[in-house]
Amino acid sequence: MNVLDIRGLTKKFGNFIAVDNISLSIREGEIFGFLGANGAGKSTTINMIASLLRPSSGEILILDRDIAKQSRFAKMNLGMVPQDLAIYEDMTSYENVSFFAGLYGLRGTELKDRTEEALQFVGLADKAKSYPRDFSGGMKRRLNIACALAHKPKLIIMDEPTVGIDPQSRNYILNSVRKLNEDGCTIIYTSHYMEEVEEICSRIAIVDHGKIIAEGTKEQLTATITDMKDIRIEVKSLTDVPADQLRLIPGVRTVRLDEMEPVIRIHSDAAVDNLNRILKELIASGAEIRSVEEQEPNLETVFLTLTGRNLRD
Amino acid sequence: MWRDIVWLMLSTLKRTFRKRSSWLLFFGLPIAGILVSTVLYGGSGQSVLRVGIVNQDSGQRIAADTVQMVQGLKNIKLVQMSENELRSELAASNLDTGIILGSGYSQSIRGGNPDHITIQSVKGATVTAYIKAMLNQYIDNISSISRIAGTDSGKFDQLYGAFQSKEFKLTVSTVQDTSSTKRMSYQSIGFLIMFMMTSAVNLSELILINRENRTYFRILSSPISSKTYVLSNILVNLCVMLSQIVIALFFLKYVFKLSTGMSMGPMLFVLGLFSLTSVGISLVVVAFSKNSASAGALQNFIVTPSCLLSGCFIPLEIMPSAVRRIADFLPQNWVLESFEKLQTGGALSSIWFNLLLLVAFAALFFLIASYKFGRNNDTRNFV
Repeated sequence: MNVLDIRGLTKKFGNFIAVDNISLSIREGEIFGFLGANGAGKSTTINMIASLLRPSSGEILILDRDIAKQSRFAKMNLGMVPQDLAIYEDMTSYENVSFFAGLYGLRGTELKDRTEEALQFVGLADKAKSYPRDFSGGMKRRLNIACALAHKPKLIIMDEPTVGIDPQSRNYILNSVRKLNEDGCTIIYTSHYMEEVEEICSRIAIVDHGKIIAEGTKEQLTATITDMKDIRIEVKSLTDVPADQLRLIPGVRTVRLDEMEPVIRIHSDAAVDNLNRILKELIASGAEIRSVEEQEPNLETVFLTLTGRNLRD
Repeated sequence: MWRDIVWLMLSTLKRTFRKRSSWLLFFGLPIAGILVSTVLYGGSGQSVLRVGIVNQDSGQRIAADTVQMVQGLKNIKLVQMSENELRSELAASNLDTGIILGSGYSQSIRGGNPDHITIQSVKGATVTAYIKAMLNQYIDNISSISRIAGTDSGKFDQLYGAFQSKEFKLTVSTVQDTSSTKRMSYQSIGFLIMFMMTSAVNLSELILINRENRTYFRILSSPISSKTYVLSNILVNLCVMLSQIVIALFFLKYVFKLSTGMSMGPMLFVLGLFSLTSVGISLVVVAFSKNSASAGALQNFIVTPSCLLSGCFIPLEIMPSAVRRIADFLPQNWVLESFEKLQTGGALSSIWFNLLLLVAFAALFFLIASYKFGRNNDTRNFV
């Protein structure tokens, strides 16, 4: 059964087409990754699914009901975790969750139980009487999620739920997403962190210039990229790495310096044998190479190949 | 739908009134407004009148006796001075009123046609009325004696002597004057109107604040529609304003004990109707503002000047006629005019046109706000 069906969805702002004739189906029990760079049309699509924007044309069905005609039914089955925190700083965690759950008609004991359950789920039960203004970024994000859960929606949209938080809170949230999915929730998940999408999403759509340019499982998507390779070079320090020189080498598409590890990630045409040239440039510049690894294309490679830019551009 | 509205209203009221500053803003300030108007306009009926007199008809008995008569009046502090002194003292507000007995004053009375007397004041009829009435009475009496005596000086002296020795007795008795307290309650209503408008904008601003903290979008992604949400805000606004009116009128009548000159029912009705207009204005402010800061600026631009121009702070009568014409286009003016009519004994039916205008103003503002809200097709604003 499809939880969400989108047919020929278009949104225009004046002459600008933000979403261009998108069609998509999401099945029950999926964690569906929605990938796109800023301005690709991802948020506009999500806002239309959440009834925050009216489509210019096309239709959206949640559990086979058209949201334009049966908006209340659709909204009752939808939980929205917006990218920007949408909580009241002057209300306690309990009051926040209870207020938003009340908008779905919950009252009395049921409201109390569901509120406590949602707070328990995100690990904030002991902070029920605390105000979000005293919370860390990760705790606020968890409360933001709890506010979308208490009414037990069938479909949850999570728009960048882990942006700007510490690794511990991120792991907590990713585990919560998996747990929600195990409990029967269908989830639409957007993130700028490709690893998260690779890790938890069962199916992924890549959006660019308002269109879905690829859709499938991670394996299906990477299988379409046969003409690209990823080279991972670990160095002692990135100080001496001549990134601009490396970009001039034939076949090299992008060079990314990952300061955390420190690692150089190079996306290159698979048909061009340029590894020796790359290593020569590095040695000539004085970079101390620790390891070199040629990797299979991942989701990032797919994204780069299809859109011509990084997800974080 | 109503269940959702009640839920939203209760939540908004709870959040609003858990802050002490809200109690001060919504209820403390209107009471302070009444206090301010009692200080500004209070006591004008009881204080001593400072009167300057210029006697240019010196050496004449009637003129000298007139000065004596005025000096003998209750609540009068009389100072004799030159005409130039009188003008400068009046201009400096050191005197409430001035009397000039011109040369020939006594002769004109003796001839039965009183003339050569001028009363000057920069404060208008409220302070000159008493002096004028007493002088008219006094001069009329002497004129009558003159007319009876004709050209017979002996007879005039006899009758005038008897009048002066109080065989003719003039009694002054004090009746309760409520004009001062009516003026205070009128100005208190002026202040209340301003605070009602400020409160309305502050409460409608919650829509913008919820937009800024993104909770508005979470609410709209729930089964609550934007119309339900805005309606709940309007109802909260009306509830707060009606409470504000009841509390302010209670303090006006029972705590400050000011005579309003009318019963509570019509006052509540007129102000209740104005609260609709206030909400309409506040929604227009919100609809045309991108954020709460710009709404605050727009509020300052609209509320205070329009209240000033419509006579909420100072009586409209002392303003230039051009300003008075502008006031005709301001709803606050029609509320105050309604109160004026009701204070002079008019019934609700006598202000039907004012009430109709208030409804029209409210409808106009609601229409403008709906049009502006409806045209917005941006999730950062409205759906």
